[in-house]
Amino acid sequence: MKLDRKNFLAATGAAATTAVVGFPAIVGAAAEPILLGSIPPITGSNALLGQQQHQGIALAVEEINARPGKVYDDRPFTIVEEDATNDNQSAVAALNKLLGENVVAIVCPVLSTQIQAMAPVMKTHEIPWMTGGTAVKNMQLGVPGAFRLRASDAITAAGMTNFAVKDLKGKKIAILHASDAFGVGGADQVVENLKKANLTPVVNLQYPKDAKDYTAEILKVKQAGADVLIMYIQNPSDTAIILKQIKSLGLGIPIVGSPSLANQTAMETAGKDANGAYAAVDFIVGFNSNVATHFLTAFYRKYHQLPDVGTGSGWVYDAVYMLADTYKKQKSSDPKQTIASLRGIKNWNGVLGTFSADGEGNMIHSVSIGQIEDSKLHLVKKVNG
Amino acid sequence: MPQFDLVANTQLLVSGLAIGSIYALVALGFVLIYNAVGVVNFAQGEFVMFPSYVAATFLLPAVTVFGAVVHWQLPLVAVYLLVIVVMVGFGLLFNRIAYYPLRDRGWLPVVISTIGVSIFLRNAAQLVWGSQPLVIPGLFPVDTVTVGPLHIRPQDLAIIGVTSLLIAFQYVLFERTTLGKQMRATAQDRATARLIGVRVGRIVAITFVYSALLGTISGLLVAPLFTVTKEMGALIALKAFAASIVGGFGSIPGAIVGGLAIGVVETFGGFYISSAYTDAIAFVILIAVLLVKPSGLFGERVAEKA
Repeated sequence: MKLDRKNFLAATGAAATTAVVGFPAIVGAAAEPILLGSIPPITGSNALLGQQQHQGIALAVEEINARPGKVYDDRPFTIVEEDATNDNQSAVAALNKLLGENVVAIVCPVLSTQIQAMAPVMKTHEIPWMTGGTAVKNMQLGVPGAFRLRASDAITAAGMTNFAVKDLKGKKIAILHASDAFGVGGADQVVENLKKANLTPVVNLQYPKDAKDYTAEILKVKQAGADVLIMYIQNPSDTAIILKQIKSLGLGIPIVGSPSLANQTAMETAGKDANGAYAAVDFIVGFNSNVATHFLTAFYRKYHQLPDVGTGSGWVYDAVYMLADTYKKQKSSDPKQTIASLRGIKNWNGVLGTFSADGEGNMIHSVSIGQIEDSKLHLVKKVNG
Repeated sequence: MPQFDLVANTQLLVSGLAIGSIYALVALGFVLIYNAVGVVNFAQGEFVMFPSYVAATFLLPAVTVFGAVVHWQLPLVAVYLLVIVVMVGFGLLFNRIAYYPLRDRGWLPVVISTIGVSIFLRNAAQLVWGSQPLVIPGLFPVDTVTVGPLHIRPQDLAIIGVTSLLIAFQYVLFERTTLGKQMRATAQDRATARLIGVRVGRIVAITFVYSALLGTISGLLVAPLFTVTKEMGALIALKAFAASIVGGFGSIPGAIVGGLAIGVVETFGGFYISSAYTDAIAFVILIAVLLVKPSGLFGERVAEKA
């Protein structure tokens, strides 16, 4: 074609028209991402839990963004992450920063103490709060849109106590717990459940944050003549050190621990010193469902290590998938609509088991008791809440 | 309150002396650097943490470093020697980076610099080794020796033994060798030491290296009991700092006695008073000693020192 003035103007006009008409279509092809907030404790003494939370979310997002249609209408998830670190003030600061990013839902840190510190801010924002902290109080703080994807300590502590008293025939129960909200709240629940069995703990010991030597506590349990020790501890590293010291100081009684006793890192760090200990966990032990099997294999393939299903990666993986399923079903990521949908969740299958929301936002209503052998948890019995 | 029990008290004493020995070694590191350059090294806890990670990297069958799994698994003695060499370099580098450029700017910039290095090392440890706690083997193949009703950890006895040997070594070093006398001269008065021919800069560098080695030994001794984490040195350093104040800041015997006293009292206090207040007990001792004797147990009054 000859490029004279007339042709040039026609070509330019056509190009301009194409650009104007076509541009929105091109922009539209890259669908708007759905911003999902996450506040794991990435640094500080609970960084291990934060890392596991980060890994679980990253895996779920990667899988969802790779599937046809992504979350819905080709909209992918984008994670906006802030570090909750190790203290409550930092968690609140991270939350405030995240709220400025227009996220449509937030996966909270697993630590109950941080959830309780964040609650006053959470109350003022009506978005879905996906939590994994198990302290009973967490769901009674008046936060609209708060959901718990793990079993409440009321269920876990009841399961642990009943197992200690009925199955292990414990008459002199000792309690050792951390000084944070999780440890204190859990120990209180154990005491309440012991009362129902007409028992009081022979000792109820609290250890300070970041303690490393537990000789005094273990010897006190020994001297009290306890026949079962119940441990309510969140930090996997603390759990492992205590198990090692229990073994080295010859405390030869059965141990029943809260879910972090079965944290993969705690079991691997304690090694043979964890053998024989029992843990109450809020997930189905082993490859017992298609979702759990897929999660375990996909996690191992991506990170070359076994995931921590309960306290670490499993519940956040479920949280992301639950949100994705809800958004897909309602074709919207509107926070208020999502809260209403999540309140109606019934028999939703995830890694941790079957989720059904109750009036408080609790979604898991049973625990399993497992026994540790060679860094693996073997199912002993299931306990319904 | 629990009843008196000889077996329990023996176990508490061994455990208290072991943890107290670690506090004492780290407190010595604080005191030596304070005496040499007049500042508190707030990275002293990382002098415990960093060599423990290095040891774990070369000792364990599989360790994740920068996201890649390495399988060194060298013999224990070789790893100990390697860690010592690394920490000599670390001490020299620390002196060169954190202290030397700021030596004429007063004490505050140096203190801030040590705090900065502390934060940097803790975050670097997380980036390099991740968040998984690592367990390194101790000096003995068994975790516990059982004598009748008594269960003693050989590692506890090793900690007490090695600390005693180090204290004896340090006494000989400071009292019987030229290097030790130069270190003492530098600690007492740097200007005068320089006038009598002591190469003060070199002695200060040696002090940093020695302090790093004290931290290294503490880390290698305590890591088999407490696991290797990036936070492992922080609480030890806090207690060791309290110990050095209880003993009299700047006093070598004070650091040793203060460390042992805090270790023993907090262990017995945890048993007889309440385990919830173990940390508080150390700081109650600190406040009580300062109220009765503000210069610490072995500290000189300023007027006497002058």
